[in-house]
Amino acid sequence: MAQDPTVPKLNFEYWLDKAVEWGQATTLESQKDVCLHLPQLQEFLHQLYEAIKHLQGPTVVIQQFPLIGQLLGRLCWNPFVIGYDESQETLMWCLCCLYSSEPQNAVELKANSWVRSLLCHLLSSSKWESNEAETSAFISALGYTSADYYCHLVKNMVVSLVRELRENQFSGLNIQESISASRVNAISIVCVPLITLPDLAPLLETLLLYHGGSSKEILSSEFLESVNEAFLKKKISLPESVIFSLWLRHLPSLEKATLHLLDQLFSIQLNSLEEVACVIKDSLLPQAASHPAIFRIVNEIFKNALVETGGTSEVLTIIQVFTQLFLQERQNENKQHKFPLKAYFPYHHQPLVRGLVRRPFELPTTYWSQHVKRISDMLKALVEDTNASSLTDLFEIWFLVACFGEWLDIAAEQLVKAAVEPDPVLWLLAFYYCPKNENQQRAQTVVEAQEVYSHLMMLFNCADLSLKDLEAAVHRVTGTEQCCNQQFTTHLLTNFLLFSPGGHKIAQECIYHITEITDTSKEVHNLLIRTAYRFNHSGEENQRTVKLLNELLQKLMLKV
Amino acid sequence: MDAVLRQVEQLPALLAVSRSAQVRHWDCLTLDRALEWARYFQHLHHRFRARPQLREALGRRLRRSQPLPVLGFPALGRCPQLLGLALLENRALPPAACRCLLRSLLQPPAGGSGRDPGGLPLLARRKAAACLLASGPGPQGQLQAEARLLLGRLREEGQGAEAQLLREEGQETAGQPRWLRGALEQLPQPRACGVVAAALALLAQGCDTEQTGDADRAASSSQGGYQAGAAGDGCAAGFLLSWLLGNQERFSAFCLCLPSSQLAFLAGHYSQLSRSYLDLLTSWGSRLVYDPLQGRWVKSCLDKAELSWEELRERFICLCQGPALLREQTQAALELLRTRDGDFKVRGLSVWTDLLMEVGY
Repeated sequence: MAQDPTVPKLNFEYWLDKAVEWGQATTLESQKDVCLHLPQLQEFLHQLYEAIKHLQGPTVVIQQFPLIGQLLGRLCWNPFVIGYDESQETLMWCLCCLYSSEPQNAVELKANSWVRSLLCHLLSSSKWESNEAETSAFISALGYTSADYYCHLVKNMVVSLVRELRENQFSGLNIQESISASRVNAISIVCVPLITLPDLAPLLETLLLYHGGSSKEILSSEFLESVNEAFLKKKISLPESVIFSLWLRHLPSLEKATLHLLDQLFSIQLNSLEEVACVIKDSLLPQAASHPAIFRIVNEIFKNALVETGGTSEVLTIIQVFTQLFLQERQNENKQHKFPLKAYFPYHHQPLVRGLVRRPFELPTTYWSQHVKRISDMLKALVEDTNASSLTDLFEIWFLVACFGEWLDIAAEQLVKAAVEPDPVLWLLAFYYCPKNENQQRAQTVVEAQEVYSHLMMLFNCADLSLKDLEAAVHRVTGTEQCCNQQFTTHLLTNFLLFSPGGHKIAQECIYHITEITDTSKEVHNLLIRTAYRFNHSGEENQRTVKLLNELLQKLMLKV
Repeated sequence: MDAVLRQVEQLPALLAVSRSAQVRHWDCLTLDRALEWARYFQHLHHRFRARPQLREALGRRLRRSQPLPVLGFPALGRCPQLLGLALLENRALPPAACRCLLRSLLQPPAGGSGRDPGGLPLLARRKAAACLLASGPGPQGQLQAEARLLLGRLREEGQGAEAQLLREEGQETAGQPRWLRGALEQLPQPRACGVVAAALALLAQGCDTEQTGDADRAASSSQGGYQAGAAGDGCAAGFLLSWLLGNQERFSAFCLCLPSSQLAFLAGHYSQLSRSYLDLLTSWGSRLVYDPLQGRWVKSCLDKAELSWEELRERFICLCQGPALLREQTQAALELLRTRDGDFKVRGLSVWTDLLMEVGY
């Protein structure tokens, strides 16, 4: 019979071969192979149901899919398949399609009886194991159903497995009483299909916190991956400590969680850093990063993401928010359990690290410019020390500074808001925007920035500004190919517009002009949402600035 | 209310029919009507769940109708499932009605909404889970699950009985619900003993509070307060002990098939049981005879279901490792027996002397 062209070709042979090979999944190898294929099989069953649900009667179904009976029958006897996610439901729907209300021939009669035996096998408390016939009579005499019975049975089994594992964990080195590693491994494998079954939660927790005597991983990787997957898809919720334990013991899961977070952040439009912070916090990664090992790996992944995306400002902003949240978590932590800073940043100049991790709100505003100068001085000494300035070292130092970008934004802001010695601050920003310093480029950048800065400061108190007055600075943005200088000047100019009395009037026009000619709108947008985020947290007294910022953001939002 | 009571009285009959060959004559319409009734009973359950007096009245009406299956107020809430599964297992149901049944039990809802997360897929999933997790040692999990279900029922009975102050007919001798024997007879004797022992152990450990037979218990105990729950437990233990001790043959089988440590644990918690257990051990011990040729105590009658010297010795050792009170009781009993035998302190003359030496006195 010709197949309906709208029905996707269903690979019956493949799955039947698999089902035969698996049997009732009693060997370790077949169990692992089933676990590996469960999501695909579920997808297949779903397609199958979609393909047969509108067919008229079992005879037609069987004509179109002659192998259907063999396949479904075998799958019904595989507890891994029946236990997995929603597979059992789809499987039962498929079985219903093979049942006819008015059987017309011997095949349909046989199919009816077959469907009912399979359903009884799946649902009633008999047959799967022979001694359950008596159970069935007993529970029905008590007025209960198999649903009540299996609910209790599974909970009991979970409780006793948990007890077995805990006792074993606490009895420690008593080799004779301890459960073998292979048993724990086997338990973790049978849990794979059941991970999203709520009854299992205590067992999952105990397993994930369980460590055998040896340093080798005792749980199966299929299990660890599946738990992580289910957690990332929000199909299960587990206590934080359990998730941390998972990431500490299984590196691929931690990597996956970090990449998942980045994907998530890239896929949403960043309207505010509050949203970003919310998504990041929700991932539990900043909390988990209190473990130095986790922090260093996550940071490494971020660093690679930054390199691969060519250092875009979105990734930088994400890293900065993550670092802030991490510091916040660390601050909330009990002093006794705190790891020293060196554990998180082992290869960096520790005084610099200590300077950077200070949160701005911990210091009075009047100290900010002093703090920025200290950071700049330390950094300059480090970078200009010819012994330690291989390109890799330089990048590592730059990345460290970039993680704490809040201080850079504050530095740029201090330039226009406070009476500061400008040179160290300009040097700091020049380092951030052009770290490489090929052909003494940084010195040149500093000189140019000084010019822009003094020009802007001259205009700072002018009440009546026009775009023409800013032409020189604007030209440095629009007329250059060098992206580092362009970004640096944009940063200075934007701050001037936000914080100078005359800048407010022409801010819209000026930013529109710049973002029309160059493709810096993303950078400007990022700078503005960072500023807004800081204002929301530490407060900005000038209401005009706040209002302008919101207006600028709204305009840009439409553009980005 | 009278009308509702009369309707509820029909439930046992409905369930009985669903398990009988009478469903041979059912068509789609009959089936839908039966399911409709089941849903109506479920609705009654939701409505009266929080009203203890009405619960009690409905429960009493259900309990008095028939010996087995035991139905109580919670059965109303579970009605669609009780009926659905009974019909699914009943091969007499004709195809047309069965197709309707499958559709209503399993078919996905048209709009994709309103999926019942506690329905049959969950049952199938749990059954598979039980099979997957059962790789461990022994049938302990099954016994415990059965014991918990039994306790759920007994507590309900206990609460009902309290309300009635055991006035009504239908209670068998010494306050044992008449259905208990019938239900336990569904299991082979060793298994029934195991279930009863597991239930008594759960009560003794007091660890059965979070998992009980019925979800409603949480509601009922929060209304009746903690004490009603504890009283329900007391009643349940009373019922089980009276089943166990009410028949000498049954009790002796119980003591033969359970391991000594478990018996000692139960004896430590239930004084009634410890007295009978010691009496039984005494009668077994007094039937041992000393074989001077082999130099040890042997059974006087080989094929009788009694304990050997080694088994008896192990049982006494376990009792003496129990709580202080039990240990003292056991030693006092042995010392009394030894005195009766002439108070000799040499091996081979009195089985009690030898046992006392074995337990360290």
